[in-house]
Amino acid sequence: MSAPTPTAEALEAYRAEVRAWLADNLPERQGPVLRAAHEVTPEQLAEERALQAKLYEAGYLGITVPKEYGGQGLTGAHQRIWQEESARYALPAPGGVASHVTLGIVLPTLLAHASEEQKRDWIPKLLRGDELWCQLLSEPGAGSDLAGILTRATRDGDVWVLNGTKVWSSGALAADYGICLARTDWDVPKHRGLTWFKVPLRDPRVTVRPIREINGSAEFCEEFLDDVVVGDDMVIGAVNDGWTVANTMLTAERSGGAGAGAGAAPPAAPRGRRRLAPDLVRLAEQRGLERDGATRQLIARAHISDWLQGQLLKRIGAGLAAGQLNPAAVSLVKLRTGIHDPQRAAIAMEIAGRNGIAWPADDDAASAPAIDFLNGRIMSIAGGSNEIQRNIVSERLLGLPREPSVDSDKPFREVLRDAKSWGKRAGS
Amino acid sequence: MPIQLDLTDDQALFHETTARFIEAELPREKTREWHERPEGFDPGWLAKAAELGWFSMLVPEEAGGGSVSDNPLADAALVAEELGRQVQPGPFVPMNVALAAIARHGDPARRAELVPAGVAGQAIVTWAATDAAGDWDLGAGVTVEARGDALVVTGERGHVQDAAQADWLLVAATRDGEPVRVLVPRDAEGVTVTPLATLDLARRLAHVRLEAVAVPADALVGGGAEALWHQHRQAVVLNLAETVGAMDELFTMTVEYAKDRVAFGRPIGSFQALKHLMADMALWLEVSKAAATAAIDAVGRDAEDAAEVAAMAAAAVGEHGNELAQQCLQVHGGIGYTWEHDLHLLMRRIQSNSVLFGSPTWHREQLCRVHGLGEEVTR
Repeated sequence: MSAPTPTAEALEAYRAEVRAWLADNLPERQGPVLRAAHEVTPEQLAEERALQAKLYEAGYLGITVPKEYGGQGLTGAHQRIWQEESARYALPAPGGVASHVTLGIVLPTLLAHASEEQKRDWIPKLLRGDELWCQLLSEPGAGSDLAGILTRATRDGDVWVLNGTKVWSSGALAADYGICLARTDWDVPKHRGLTWFKVPLRDPRVTVRPIREINGSAEFCEEFLDDVVVGDDMVIGAVNDGWTVANTMLTAERSGGAGAGAGAAPPAAPRGRRRLAPDLVRLAEQRGLERDGATRQLIARAHISDWLQGQLLKRIGAGLAAGQLNPAAVSLVKLRTGIHDPQRAAIAMEIAGRNGIAWPADDDAASAPAIDFLNGRIMSIAGGSNEIQRNIVSERLLGLPREPSVDSDKPFREVLRDAKSWGKRAGS
Repeated sequence: MPIQLDLTDDQALFHETTARFIEAELPREKTREWHERPEGFDPGWLAKAAELGWFSMLVPEEAGGGSVSDNPLADAALVAEELGRQVQPGPFVPMNVALAAIARHGDPARRAELVPAGVAGQAIVTWAATDAAGDWDLGAGVTVEARGDALVVTGERGHVQDAAQADWLLVAATRDGEPVRVLVPRDAEGVTVTPLATLDLARRLAHVRLEAVAVPADALVGGGAEALWHQHRQAVVLNLAETVGAMDELFTMTVEYAKDRVAFGRPIGSFQALKHLMADMALWLEVSKAAATAAIDAVGRDAEDAAEVAAMAAAAVGEHGNELAQQCLQVHGGIGYTWEHDLHLLMRRIQSNSVLFGSPTWHREQLCRVHGLGEEVTR
């Protein structure tokens, strides 16, 4: 952050250096980089970690991370050059999504809230690929209402004992550690009794299990913590100040993990002329509906909605960068994605008709509408549901008053007790 | 805050001057005086507006026009946005696109006669673009035939803005099957203007009948089909900038009302049912601003994808605008249903604009056509 502004010549020299290193050391990208962590064999994982270490030793991981924590201490301009130049190369991502969580979400959170000692010790390992992290955040009973978690960390002499169940962790099977939110005080309001811990996932008292999702695959995991013991050196941020840390993390998560990490570049914008929703045109052609008026309207609607997604992102990005828009405007992009995705999937199913519910068993591509249909609500639920985004937009962007709250001002223990008698009370 | 985010200092100043002029001359409450009058607006007011440059922007400097930036359409959109907020009367959109066409494609002598007068607001020029039903027909509903040295114009144009007040009509027509435009004096023999009743109380629309109207040969404005389409895109963009201005005004009004109005012991804006609705409305508005900005840019630069972007933006803004206006009335409740409240003025303008230069359905079909969907292509 405090790095001096580089000259144009210095940046061009840096670009040339980056370009040469990439050409000599990395293969060009063949397909998409994201995949589930457990599709990787231990050998592949070790290979990818070695490649990340190579990248780190060359100085291209943690470009904007301060030198004392093992980074390069360079500017955002250097980071952007790296992203532009590396976009077409296959960057190492050990554990796939685990790597993205580690560098995109955990790294900025640690930089903001970990102690000096922790940062000096942990961050170099994390940049080098020696330590992969995941989030231990949501629980079966707490998703959108994250501050309502039930995992407990109890003081026992000079250690903490953790018990509870976490869920929806991406990349947990490949990860070495989890950044875990637990309740450390039950006698204060829910936001004020939370603390973050670094939890070793290889500990025998931690059980990690993949969750099978409605689309049949298993991208996420659940974790069971049974008397997991950690010391004070594993506490991140102040005890009972976990909500402050959580806000940093959620911001990093909602901004798409564009933090100080490896910086997976966004997909390059398609060049030349746009094509009219090619997937939908193909589905229509398969049924001979390309001249059908109603179908054409659906295709146009989907194409326009795709385009609007990009235009909104462009506008909000520019407005935020120029300080012309309220930061809460980010939630508009998240909300629109959560609305657009299921609508888009429904249009594809409508056009596909019977081809969307049955297809030749050996034709993987033909399953796309069905998969999109099943995955359509990922963004409307994950990372703060549509309803949470609507609260943020209405309160922080429009300045509308908050609803009266039944749980934010009383001890969490009482919140749980009162919730059980809710039905009796409400009817009386 | 203006819809377009990256304004130059000159543009920002121009926008501010425009807003102040409207506030001083014809704020929304004063426009009501004109709702009852058939002429719709005061020509003297139009001439004053012309002094600010309202009718010079799309006319090249060498033809007596000029604008404050190198994207004149973006500058005109700044005015259009404010016209929408204050539901202004008058022929801003048709007059600008007509003057642009005459300046670019008209006969030099006629151009010299007409364009400076239009730019000064001394002559009112409107655009008779659509068929008898108000639909875009690329001039098909009017024919131009040579008769000796003169031309004879016959046919019908529908939904012509401010035709009764206009001095000149720029008529979309065909000559030997080819799209052309032709200048017709409104008071020429054979021209019948029949005013229509309109949803938008501040907008005058009329049916125009042309019965063998004789005009001189130099009344022809060239450019062909592509020039007509370009003119249509300009109108679409200015029209949607106006709509987004009206949406912004109406939504701001609605959020304020939700904070002030108390029911069940609380401001109604604290109820989640309304907060979530208004969050969606905020999204429709922001998306509309993004779409309008993109269309202003693409059509203003006459970019390769201008037709596609204009169609997408018009479909999106048309649809979101009407959704937004409907829900603004819902949030207001009974007070919004009263004649005295300005809500209906904005709601009428938004609905009217959403079909004036093509409905959302029409624009979606245009999008498919631009992409050649369903047409035989040689691969």
